[in-house]
Amino acid sequence: MKKTHLPGASGAVTRRALLATGAAALAMPMLSRRAFAAPTELTMLAWYGHAEPDIVAEFEAEHNVKFVPKYYTGGDNMLGLISQSPAGTFDVILSDAEYVQALNAAGYVEELDPNDYALSDYFPEFQNFPGNWQDGKLFSLVTRFGFLGVAYNTDALTEAEAASYDVFWDPKLTGKVGHFDWHLPNLGQMSLTAGNAAAYDIDEAGWEAVKEKTMSLRSQIGGFFDYGGTFSSLNDGQMLAFAGIGDWITGVLEKNGAKVRSTIPEQGGLQWSECFSIGKGSQKADLAKKWIQYITSAKGQAKSAQMAAYPAIVPNAKGWEVLQAENPAEAKRQGMTKDAGNAMDLIRAGRIQYRQWPIQQDLETWNDFWSEYKGA
Amino acid sequence: MTQDMTALPLSVHPSGTPAVATAPTAKAPAAAKARKTASHGAHDLNRNRGVDAALWVYILLAYAFVFAPIAASFIFSFNSDRFPSIPLGEISLDWYRAVATDPLVWEGLRNTLFVGVITGVVSTLLGFGAAYTDYRYKFAGKQVYLALALLPPTIPVIIMGLAMLAYLSRVNLSGNALSVIISHVVVCAPFAMAITRLRLSQMDPALEPAAWNLGASEWQTMRHVIIPFCKPAIFGALFITMAVSFDEFAVAWFVSGLNETLPVKVLGFLQGQVSPRINAIGTFVFVTSMTLVILAQLLLSNRDAKFRNTSGE
Amino acid sequence: MRSRISLYGLTFSLPLLLWQLLFFVFPLLFLVALSFWTVKNFTMRPDFDTVNWVTIYGRAVFWQAYATTFVMAALAALLTSALAFPAAYAIAFKLSDTARRWAVFLMVIPFFTSYLVRVYSWQIFLSDNGIINVLLGGIGLGPFPMLNTVGATMVGFLTLCFPLVVLLQLFSLAFIDRTLIEAAHNMRCGRLRTVFEVVIPSARVGLSIAALFAFILCFGDFVSPVYLGGGEPTTLSILITDTTKSGQQWPRAAVIALTMIATLLVVAFAAIRFAYKGRSK
Repeated sequence: MKKTHLPGASGAVTRRALLATGAAALAMPMLSRRAFAAPTELTMLAWYGHAEPDIVAEFEAEHNVKFVPKYYTGGDNMLGLISQSPAGTFDVILSDAEYVQALNAAGYVEELDPNDYALSDYFPEFQNFPGNWQDGKLFSLVTRFGFLGVAYNTDALTEAEAASYDVFWDPKLTGKVGHFDWHLPNLGQMSLTAGNAAAYDIDEAGWEAVKEKTMSLRSQIGGFFDYGGTFSSLNDGQMLAFAGIGDWITGVLEKNGAKVRSTIPEQGGLQWSECFSIGKGSQKADLAKKWIQYITSAKGQAKSAQMAAYPAIVPNAKGWEVLQAENPAEAKRQGMTKDAGNAMDLIRAGRIQYRQWPIQQDLETWNDFWSEYKGA
Repeated sequence: MTQDMTALPLSVHPSGTPAVATAPTAKAPAAAKARKTASHGAHDLNRNRGVDAALWVYILLAYAFVFAPIAASFIFSFNSDRFPSIPLGEISLDWYRAVATDPLVWEGLRNTLFVGVITGVVSTLLGFGAAYTDYRYKFAGKQVYLALALLPPTIPVIIMGLAMLAYLSRVNLSGNALSVIISHVVVCAPFAMAITRLRLSQMDPALEPAAWNLGASEWQTMRHVIIPFCKPAIFGALFITMAVSFDEFAVAWFVSGLNETLPVKVLGFLQGQVSPRINAIGTFVFVTSMTLVILAQLLLSNRDAKFRNTSGE
Repeated sequence: MRSRISLYGLTFSLPLLLWQLLFFVFPLLFLVALSFWTVKNFTMRPDFDTVNWVTIYGRAVFWQAYATTFVMAALAALLTSALAFPAAYAIAFKLSDTARRWAVFLMVIPFFTSYLVRVYSWQIFLSDNGIINVLLGGIGLGPFPMLNTVGATMVGFLTLCFPLVVLLQLFSLAFIDRTLIEAAHNMRCGRLRTVFEVVIPSARVGLSIAALFAFILCFGDFVSPVYLGGGEPTTLSILITDTTKSGQQWPRAAVIALTMIATLLVVAFAAIRFAYKGRSK
């Protein structure tokens, strides 16, 4: 915090009088936020990390903006928040690709002009990213993505062992396999394990196979964890393998010296993707647009790839180049190099499928089964 | 305020408790004798050294349990590793620095204090009124009244949060400190009422009518008899409701919108990133409130000592 | 006299009534209405359809979670009460005034540290490589799996309730006439018998209320089951989160919530009736 003590502080005397005795002293630094030459506040609804200084500081300084983040803990949680807040509450919205259509359908986001953004720098696969477009109109822009596979403790398993989802059934992992507590990535992986070609586009027989396969894993499971719980249980060796996650978790832990890694197993991996939109009714849509331009530009993309909260692959080819120059080790670690077998090659080789809503079943069917599985 | 709670046993006259009124008369001589022994002091009750020692050990264990997580949080807040593990990493103030330089944390703290103090005062007032109503009046629909007064804490917070958000946003009250205060008072007032009611149930039911018979008006009796009698409970309630509000994160998560309170921030740290900032914030808040409580303790025991001297006890 | 409506009486009874009507009953009614809404494509729409009630009540998972949650909360309430009582008793009767003052003061401190922080801290103790297992390892024991078990959830529940229960118990023990206890002793009533036949009955109201609070807090808590219990077994609070985590099924969550509310109502009234049984009000 800058150590400026501001004129604003003196005006707060009456309010301070209401606070407990000791609070007065505490109020000083708090009020000093007002000391900045009144930067424009830009609200962002996002997963944790997207409005932290390592990502936004440069943009904030350039445009005299101050981001006010509201971090959510899941897509549905995000939808719940938007639907109960007045229009225009959130200027910038980051959402997982699955939810982008729901945002569109409910009219929560503004239309974007594709010409505003460096779409031509994107890899072709991401220029027409599913869900971003609706009836030829652009509503959101994919900004980063990552793969989900087998996350494992490198002390407990070899890379070869972790190269198949079957490792979750290994007797030495009994009680040591964790689930990231959301049905979609887990059941998608089970679908691949059960031999379905398209993880999310499965008929009744395929769905039965998924259910059976999943249930057979139940006795191996040590717990169901949220984002934070996943982090700590992998880090301290509480769980030795994890379903439903990937480098977005293990990459952070690795950086901190934990012995964990993720593989894309032989049955294939899944892909999560995050997209930026402008909230409907935003009074600062121009600034929000500037932000999306910034974070999807080559420079912003390289930053985004190295986000402190969790790393990700970026869809902007020029962003890869900046990253290779800035941080070759990280570029290599995440497969954003020109070498064969890089992230794009994985996608092009068909090793990766988008995480998406089930196509032939109701979302409820999947969710209900997940609850049953947890309760079993 | 804690002082007042502990002072309770001192300020209650034994014969004022219902227990004595219902004591079998057969025991009266023994009781008289006991009263004599008891006047030598509480330690006369201690007869069996073995049992006493065991109880002492038990108290220590109980406090060890209560303080273990607090102490660990304190220690790990100075640990350089991002994820707490044994052995400890280096000693570092990084997490404090991270917290201190985060303006949103400061804003959260300000919101928390603002909300907590107002919630405490309003809840205590409402709770006192309700407890007194229950104590004094019988009326049709009293069960419903009591249900209304006591029910809110039984609502699972996550649903309470959504119901409050949905409702408050319909009446244009959502997304600010006021909406958090409104929701917190709903949850906290029952605590205040329960605490005050407990105290009132210890009051001799004849006390209030006695005051009226002596010519005091209802208001005067309230002011000079009931409120002084309930004072420890009122402070207790104020203090508990503030503490509940300081620590509430689920309802606040929903209704605070962008004006997050500190516990909401901590929940975010826990769910989103598992950062030792949790420990740093926890320790900081802990030390601050400890200081305040100790100050209050010193002030009150000072006053109490004077009071006791003058009353010749 | 007692039932006459007066300005004086209304001054005390009305504010809470109004507040709870406006900010509690109305949201609650909204919750009831919500339980009949339908959800299509992530959007809730007003409706009058019993589908949510039928679906939830028709699911074995729900009843299983219900039983689990009830038993765990009851167990936590009993456990907390049983563990807190010796402490409250000792503080009330064995400590000098000064020591008692400090004891209460210390028991109040946990209220000023976040429950979230304390639960997070317990993870450090209970994990496989955590403090307890490292200490046990030092004397050649373990490691014992503790985190992500029901036992860990109970530790969390104790963390949540123990200080409050001790204080509430203490509060009621403090009012027991000591001469009564002395009398019992003089009548050659044994220590334990005195506790069970004099102390506990005299403090019944406080003890019951304390246990009730513990039950209520644990029944609705989602932090300990998730962060210490590893999300297993599924409790109702976890089921609510699950229900809302996919497809905006808030109406179904409302059904679960309303069932929980009804349960707690019954338990609360039973506890209060028990507490005040045979006492003239």
